[in-house]
Amino acid sequence: MAEKNYYTIDPEGKLTCMRCGVPLIKGKARFLYLDNGFPVELPVCPVCGFVYVPEELALGKVAAVERALEDK
Amino acid sequence: MSQIQERGSTHVYKVNKISREEMESMVERCVYAHPPFCSAACPLKLDARAFLEAAAAGNFKKALQLYEKIAPFPLVLAMGCEAPCERSCRLGEIGEAVQIRAVEEAAARFGQTQRLGSVFRTRKKKSVAIFGSGLFALFLAGELEKKAYPLSVFCEEADAERFLKSETGFLDEEAFRSELKRLQGMDIQFVFGCAIDRAFIEEKRAAFDVACASPAVREKLFPEAECIPALMYCEDLKLVSGPCSGVLDAAFGAKKAALTVDRLAQNLDPRNARGQEGPVESRLYTDLSEARELTRVPMNGAGCTREEAAREAGRCIRCHCEECLKSCAYLAHYKKHPGLFAREIYNNTQIIMGDHPLNKPMNSCALCGQCTVVCPNGVDMARVCLDARRNMVSTDKMPLAPHEFALLDMLFSNEEAFLSRPQPGFDTCRYVFFPGCQAAAIAPETVKAAYLDLCDRLNGGVALMLGCCGAIGGWAGRTELEEQTRVFLDRELSKLGDPIVIAGCPMCKKELAGHEGLQITGIWDVLLEIGLPGGGHRLERPAALHDSCGARGDEKTQTAIRELAMRLGCELIETDYSGDRSPCCGYGGLAAYANREVAQEMTEKCLARSDAPYITYCMACRDRFARQGRESKHILELIYGTEAGAPPDISEKRYHRLMLKKELLRELWQEETKDMKLDYELNYTEQARRMMDERMILTDDVIAVMDELRKTGACIFDEESGLFIACRRIGNATFWVKFSREGDARYLVHRAWSHRMTVVKREG
Repeated sequence: MAEKNYYTIDPEGKLTCMRCGVPLIKGKARFLYLDNGFPVELPVCPVCGFVYVPEELALGKVAAVERALEDK
Repeated sequence: MSQIQERGSTHVYKVNKISREEMESMVERCVYAHPPFCSAACPLKLDARAFLEAAAAGNFKKALQLYEKIAPFPLVLAMGCEAPCERSCRLGEIGEAVQIRAVEEAAARFGQTQRLGSVFRTRKKKSVAIFGSGLFALFLAGELEKKAYPLSVFCEEADAERFLKSETGFLDEEAFRSELKRLQGMDIQFVFGCAIDRAFIEEKRAAFDVACASPAVREKLFPEAECIPALMYCEDLKLVSGPCSGVLDAAFGAKKAALTVDRLAQNLDPRNARGQEGPVESRLYTDLSEARELTRVPMNGAGCTREEAAREAGRCIRCHCEECLKSCAYLAHYKKHPGLFAREIYNNTQIIMGDHPLNKPMNSCALCGQCTVVCPNGVDMARVCLDARRNMVSTDKMPLAPHEFALLDMLFSNEEAFLSRPQPGFDTCRYVFFPGCQAAAIAPETVKAAYLDLCDRLNGGVALMLGCCGAIGGWAGRTELEEQTRVFLDRELSKLGDPIVIAGCPMCKKELAGHEGLQITGIWDVLLEIGLPGGGHRLERPAALHDSCGARGDEKTQTAIRELAMRLGCELIETDYSGDRSPCCGYGGLAAYANREVAQEMTEKCLARSDAPYITYCMACRDRFARQGRESKHILELIYGTEAGAPPDISEKRYHRLMLKKELLRELWQEETKDMKLDYELNYTEQARRMMDERMILTDDVIAVMDELRKTGACIFDEESGLFIACRRIGNATFWVKFSREGDARYLVHRAWSHRMTVVKREG
C-alpha cells in the first residue's frame, strides 16, 4: 500500500536544479527526526535527488513537529 | 569545531538526580496555598477571603452562597458565632480586625438563598432519625437535609416555631421569621409533641438506619453513655450525639456528626476517612505594608446597610502570599506558585513515554535565585529547575534544541576564541584577568583597556584568559560539560602558575569560585584598591544601578560597584528590587534561548523599575537593556571611557571575540594568526542580517553553505523571486540560503532559514 503523504508541494516547473539543468518535480521525500519519519512530497531534482525545503515549510510545520517530537 | 550530540529517542533511565523527598520539601516551603488566618481559625472552614471579596463587591447573593456551604441556618450561626476568625485577622495586629461576623449577618439578611426545593432532589436510600431539639439538633437537621437523607425529627415541642425557638433566643424577630421560613421549606419530617424516653427511642429508631440525639436528650436518658467528641458518636449505644456548648461548637459538632452519619449509613467505621476537621494552623505570609483601612466601619446588626457591610468587607486585605510572583517575571508569566510548579516540573522529569509538557517552562527559569531571597520561606525554583534539567540530561530526555546554540557558543569561546597567555616578559603570573565571554563579545575595547591597565598597575604579572567559565554548560544541566570545562580551565590556569583570578563578570566569579584551591577576586575589588585609572567618565544623568544575579548574596561586590560609581561621580538611583532582590535581565539560565517571550518579560521587568539609564556590572545585562533601547553602561565602560556602542548581533559577538584574540596576540605577544579570507565576496541585505539574528543563524553558517555551493555547484533557481537557493547540513541543523549573484565570486544574501529535521529522497 502506498504511504500516506503528510505534506505535498508541487513546484509547477518554477524551480530549476542548477547543477543538473532540469526543473524540480513533485517527488517523494522523507523527513527524519529523533527516530521518527514522515513521508512527504516536495520539489525534488529528478536527476541528482536534491530535495528543497521551502522557508514557509521549515519555519511552519517542520518547526512545529520538531518541537512536538523534542518534548516526547 | 566540536559538535554536541542530539539526544536519543529511546529513553533509558540512567541516573535520577531529583528525589520525590527533595521535591516535597520544596513544595512544603511554598505557603501560597495555605488558608488565610481567618479561615484557618474557623472550625467550619469558611472561605472568608472569597466571602468578603463578594460582599465587598456588593454581591451578597454570592456571599450568602459561600456562607451557606458552612451554615444551614445562616442567621443563627452569624448572630451567635463566637467568631474566632476575627481574633485571627491580621489587620488586628496593626489596626482593627475586619468584623467578619457582622458581614456574615448582613449577607444572610441581604443575600438570596440558592437552596433547591425538594422536587429537584434525589433522596438517599438510608434514613436518619433525630431525637430532641436545640442548636445541635437544628444544625444537624440542616446538614443532613442538605445531604438529602430522608430525615425525621422527633421532638417534645408542639410545632416548628417552638422547635426553632429552643436555644435561639438571641435572634431578633425578623431573623427568627426568616430562619423559620427556611426550616419550614426543608425536606424534613417532623413529629411534634413526643414524650421522648428510652423506650420511645428504642421503638422509633428501629425504622431508621441511623439514630441521632441532641446532647440534652442523651444526657438525660443515657447519662452513663460514653461519647467520642471527635466523632460525636456514642459507640455503645450506636447513637450519633456528643457534647457541645455555644453556637459555633454546635454547628461544628453537627458537621462532625453529619460525617459520622455518612460513614455509618455506608456501614463504615466512622473513625476513618474524615479528612482534616476543625481549625488548622496556617503559615501563610502576609505583607501588611499595603493595608490602608485600619478602622472599623460602624455596623449596627439588623440596622446595618448594604453599603456599610460592603465597606467593612472591603477592608479585608485578602491575605495571600505572592512575593515571588510579584517579583519574578518567569513565575508571573506561567501564573503558577512554586508549590504547584515544583510538583509539575518534578512530574515532568518522571515521564518515561509521552509528552513532557513542562520542558519549556523548566528551561525558561533564569536560575537567578531571586525567588529564594524574596520568599519568606526561601523557596528555590532555581534548584527545582536546575535539578530537573540535570535529570532530563542524565536520563537522555533533554532536547538539545533549546540550548544548542548557547552550548556551541560556549565551545567556540573555549576553542577558536580561547586565549591564555602570561603577561609578556613573564613565564608565570601572580594574577590572571578573566573578563568573561560576554565582555569580550560585547565590549572588546573595554576588555583590552582593562587588561592593559591591570598589566600596567599590578605587580607580579597579569596573565589573560579569554574564554567561558562553564556557567552555560551548568545552566543547561550538562554537568559533564561543566566538569570538562572546569578541568580544562584548571589545566590552563596551572600553566600560568595558578594565579589569582581577577574576574570581570560576577557570574564567572561565582562559577570559578567552585574550583578547588582557586583564589578569585573581582576587577571591581582590585580597582577599589589601586584606584581608578583616570580617563573614565560619569553618566551625566542620575542612573539606576542594576545588580547582577551573579552577585546575589555577595554584598562585598554590590558595595564595591556602588563605591566605584560614586568615585566616578555618578548619581545612583536605588530601585525596588535591588541588591540581593535584583531580578535577572533574561540572559541567566539560558532563558533567552529556551523562551524568548519570558526572557523579554524579564528584561521589561528590570527596566520598569526606573526610567533612568542603567549602570550594570554584567555585560549580558548591559546588552539586553541596550537591545531594549534603554541607555545602559557597564561600569567598566565608564571606568575606561570605552564605548561599546550599539548591541552586536550574534555573529558580531563571535567576530568580536575572534578579533580581540587576534589583535591582542599581534600587539602584545607578536603572534600573527592566519586570516581566513574568503576567495569570494559575500554581502547581506539588512533584512537578511535581522532575520539571521532572529533565527540564530551565524554568518559562519552562511559561509559554510556558500563554500559547499562553490565546491559542488548544487543549488536551485527560483523563478518567482529570481533568486538562487543553496543548503548544507551543519551539525544538527540544515541551513538554507537564498541569494542573488553577480558573476562567480559575488553573492548577496537575501534570506536564510534552518531546520533540524533531515530530509532524504525516498524511493517508490
